[in-house]
Parts: sequence; structure tokens; C-alpha cells
Amino acid sequence: MNRDRRTGATRTTKTEQRVPWLEWLAAGLGLILVLGLFGMIGWQVFNGATTPPAITVEVEDMAPVEGGYRVLFRARNGAGEAAAQVEIEGKVSGPGTENETSRVVLDYIPGRSIRRGGLFFTRDPRAGVLTVRATGFAEP
Amino acid sequence: MTSERYAIGLARAFGGAILFGIPLLMTMEMWSLGFSMGRGRLLLLMSFTFAVLVGLSYFSGFEKTFSLKEDAMDAFAAFGVGVITSAVLLMVFAVISLDMTWGEIVGRVALQSVPASTGAMLGRKQLGAEQDMEAEAERKREAGYGGELFLMLAGALFLAFNMAPTEEMVLIAFQMTPWHGLALGALSIVLLHAFVYSIGFSGQESRPEGGSFLSTFVHFTLVGYAIALLMSLYVLWTFGRTDGVALAEIANMLVVLGFPASLGAATARLVV
Repeated sequence: MNRDRRTGATRTTKTEQRVPWLEWLAAGLGLILVLGLFGMIGWQVFNGATTPPAITVEVEDMAPVEGGYRVLFRARNGAGEAAAQVEIEGKVSGPGTENETSRVVLDYIPGRSIRRGGLFFTRDPRAGVLTVRATGFAEP
Repeated sequence: MTSERYAIGLARAFGGAILFGIPLLMTMEMWSLGFSMGRGRLLLLMSFTFAVLVGLSYFSGFEKTFSLKEDAMDAFAAFGVGVITSAVLLMVFAVISLDMTWGEIVGRVALQSVPASTGAMLGRKQLGAEQDMEAEAERKREAGYGGELFLMLAGALFLAFNMAPTEEMVLIAFQMTPWHGLALGALSIVLLHAFVYSIGFSGQESRPEGGSFLSTFVHFTLVGYAIALLMSLYVLWTFGRTDGVALAEIANMLVVLGFPASLGAATARLVV
């Protein structure tokens, strides 16, 4: 290389001896971080990072709040690809009464991740049958 | 060079990582891109960034380097600083938390480490009090034309990368008529030339044949704009902004992103 010719061999070896321990430490740590990151991202490439989203919703908690009832849920994306604008719909149905539907949109659910949210109802969901599911998503 | 001196350089690197990284660390789109963008593209982006870091280390690292090995060590150190800075700040901003999956955390940190590690590499130059200006100028001289183009590339990449994640780039492209596009392209070239002529290359030996208007224009301005457009295309593709988009619409986006990218290419010499 151009530079090697200019600096000369003696100068190069001299500076190599003077590399401080902190530089070795910083460069070594950096190398480990680089390899670690590359490894983890590379692993995802070959382990289903490209399967389209599959979202399941679980109800975590139901409680009366001011003005109605609150249902907390967690939506889990079991596949590798992220989903955007995931619409979650909850429906309370019971014998002899009208169904009540509430909706919420979650901005993102990354691959194999969980996002939490809540729905409000005016009727007690514990009195009827509550179903909560994801109705759709968009690709990010 | 002692460990003490190196520690000062390292502290400046952290300063640079924070300073240059903060705009994107606080950009919402970057958080979701971290887990939603293609893993292959993320890997490629990080490899490319690393190569650019090695090159930047040659021109202005946080210490004076003498061999490719030292440039690589500098690049690794800058990368480490970028990763640590990104991880800590994202955690403080509550963008990443330990109850997330590691895939999400890694994706977010990895993407943010790109601007942060570039900032770490430039930190010494920007925040350093004493530095070997002569050695640096000599390097730029002896690197010649290829070196100039590399600095342009690094500058274009950095600025394009800073703008491309935002929704606004696409929105502006959608809003523009073809006339707006042509005007913006022309403005980019004029500004690029003005910068190149006034700050970059005048009085350098690398300026071809005494630097007539035409030769400077062809050798630096046009090539610089081409580099800016290429970097814009690369960054847009990396973020998946070009997937399934018509060619004409991509051209519009390129002109939009090419504007900051060409400014980055023109001013890289000031920063590096």
C-alpha cells in the first residue's frame, strides 16, 4: 500500500509496540460486539425471520372501571415478520342482549414479540361471552 | 501514545456518538425499522458501515493510525462505542426494555449503532482540542482523487441515512410535480458545485489541470452528485422504501434524498 511505503517498516513496528492496553481493550470489546450482533442478526436470517405474521390474542385481566369495564389483553406475534397496524377486536355477546364490539389498533408487533393493550366495554364482559382476536395487519 | 491519551480519545468518541447519533436515536421510524427491516439488508448495511469506518479512521480517527490493522482496530472500537451508546440511550428512552425479545432489542441497537459509530469515529475531529492537522491534510493530499470520492461517499451516506428513515422523504416525493423534481435536482448540483469549489478542493494538488470550471464540474460536482444519488438509492433500498414502487416514483425519492446527500458529499471535507 501507498502508506506503508511512506511510513516505512521501522516506524510501523515501533508504533505497534506502543499500542496501549486500553486500545486493545476497546478494539477487542468492539470486535466482540460486532461479532455478537452479526451473529444474532445472521441467526435470524436462517430461522424464520421471513414467515408472515400470525397473531394470537389472550385476555389478561377484566375489571370494572369508571364508565364501564376494561379488558386488558396481550397480542402475541408468533411468526418472524413484524406486523403493523394490527387491529384487535373484542366482542361481548350474551343471550338475549345485543353484541357490543370494541376495537383498537396496535402500531407494531415485532416478530415473536408481545404487545399489550386494552379495550373498554359498557357491559360487563364477565356476564357474557368475550372473544378478542386480531382482525388484520399491514406489512410495515 | 499512552492509555491515558487513548482514554481521552475514547471519551471524545462517546461524545461524538451521542452528538451525531441523537437525531436518529430520537426518531420514531428508526425504532420500528430496527425490527421490521430485512435482516439480510441490516447485515449488509452494518458491513458497509464497517468498511466506511475503516476508511474514515484513515482520514480522521480518534487517533493517528499507521496501518490497516490499526484502522480496523479503530473501526472496531468506534463500533463498540456506537453500540454501547445506542443501547444505553435507547434504554433510557424506554425504547428497549428487558421484557422485549432479544431479536427486537438487537435489531434496534444494531440499526442505531450505524450513525452512532460514525459519530464516534468523527468525535475526535469535532470535539478534540489538539490534533495533527498536518498529518491529516497530508493524508487527504496523498489519497488523491479516490480519497476525495471516498469522503464524498461517506458524507453522502451519513446525511442520506439521517433523513431516509423519516416518512417525510416519501411524502415530499409524492407531493412533487416533475418540475419540482427537476428544480430540486438542479439546486442540488448548483449547491454541490458551490461547496466543492469554495471549500473543498481549491488550492489542492488533486484539483485537475489548474481547475477550470468545466473540469472541476465534471470531476467533482457531477461525480459527487452521482455518488449522492447512489447512496440515496442504497439507503432507500436498505429501509425497504423502494420495494414494489414504480421506477418514476423511485426517481422522485432519489432526487429528494439526493438533496441532503449531495450536501453531505460536499461538506464531508469540513467534518472529516
